[in-house]
Amino acid sequence: MVALVIALALFFDFTNGFHDTANAMATPIATGAIKPKTAVTLAAILNLVGAFLSTEVAKTVSGGIIREGSGGVQITPDIIFAGLMGAILWNMITWLKGLPSSSSHALFGGLIGAAVAGIGFNSVNLETLLQKVILPAVFAPLIAAIVAYICTRLAYALTSRHDPETGTKLTQKRGGFRTGQIFTSSLVALAHGTNDAQKTMGIITLVLIAAGTQTPGSGPQLWVIAACAFAIAIGTYAGGWRIIRTMGAGLTEVKPAQGFAAETSTASAILASSHLGFALSTTQVASGSVIGSGLGRRGTSVRWGMVGKIALGWLFTLPAAGIVGALTALLVKTGVVGVVIAAVAGTGAVLYMFLVSRQSKVGHHNAVEVEEAGQAVRFAKKKAFARARARANESARANEPKDTER
Amino acid sequence: MKWLELLTVGGATLVSAVTVVVLYSLGVRLTAMGGDQRAAAPGWLRSLAYACFALCGLAVLFGLYLIIPYFSG
Repeated sequence: MVALVIALALFFDFTNGFHDTANAMATPIATGAIKPKTAVTLAAILNLVGAFLSTEVAKTVSGGIIREGSGGVQITPDIIFAGLMGAILWNMITWLKGLPSSSSHALFGGLIGAAVAGIGFNSVNLETLLQKVILPAVFAPLIAAIVAYICTRLAYALTSRHDPETGTKLTQKRGGFRTGQIFTSSLVALAHGTNDAQKTMGIITLVLIAAGTQTPGSGPQLWVIAACAFAIAIGTYAGGWRIIRTMGAGLTEVKPAQGFAAETSTASAILASSHLGFALSTTQVASGSVIGSGLGRRGTSVRWGMVGKIALGWLFTLPAAGIVGALTALLVKTGVVGVVIAAVAGTGAVLYMFLVSRQSKVGHHNAVEVEEAGQAVRFAKKKAFARARARANESARANEPKDTER
Repeated sequence: MKWLELLTVGGATLVSAVTVVVLYSLGVRLTAMGGDQRAAAPGWLRSLAYACFALCGLAVLFGLYLIIPYFSG
């Protein structure tokens, strides 16, 4: 059972990796700062490094939500097995739909569902749940969006140049942000590694403690850290192209300066939160940043329909993973046969979704239409954009002198 | 409730992100100015731009230094 749970946990880590490649690499791929293949390789390496950097989160991540230890309930490998099953299945479903949803929420949801079904409602610590999951879920995208909005405005304000006499535009070299994007997106990948690989480490350590092979209260062992680091790196390299497409082009059109602002905000938010102990979801922060940077640049529209779809996905993450986790926990409770049925059904579901995904393949070649097919479209768009801007300029000309005076 | 922590995280995020973006944007602007045909002192502008990029990089490295437990002990 312990071996099975560890294998499942590592597979969850893998899905976490390819689910979250988008957070770091969607915007640089969308702006053409890094080639898709290079981007995922870079993200994979940095995830690997990040996972080794810190184990602070691993020690605290899984603790608290389910009452464990003395005075609480005994958490068993069975419960963790069921919880992981819920988390993995939900991750696969959202990936199939191309929705950036929080892997950590899926994990929490699965564990909570499994604990409720396996032990009872009193096993869940509602106050901690509110503090650790629900409040951050509301504030993470909000903070990120506000910061990204401010940063995008600043970046554009600082680089906008007009000739003082004629009012014509001078060269702005905003393409320079593309180079910066390489660094900021690397930082996001690193932050992701320090944050998300930890969650699986925490789970495996919990299993080892529950099975009695490790003393309670000790940190993750070296082989656990290494295995998790590699699982998340391989997952990242596999690349969740569907989600990259959503994040890079589905929410708003991303320009280099916007991408730079969004990634800087994402990286600072994740690093700040994981360092100061108010855990925020990487995915939610990244999505918030992209939306904020979309709002911050004039002439960009945010596709609110897509935003709504994503928000709905977030809302469902916790209960949906919870239900799967609960069902699995009930199955597992029946004994060895139940475990086998759950394992086979889970593998079957994952395989089925993989096969469905093959039918409409989204790979590095078409995740974000950068050059080939996008050429004609982009050209037309630029023309339309220029026309719209000319019209706007004409109507705004009357106000413009006042603007420059300020 | 952990409102104070939330506020700290929000504040830290804002300060660090704005620092990096402002420095980098200034760098981009100065490069653009230095590249102008009739720039007064292109050499100066160019080196100022590089100074901005360097400061930006330093800010990032300092942030990493604060975060990685290996350094802060």
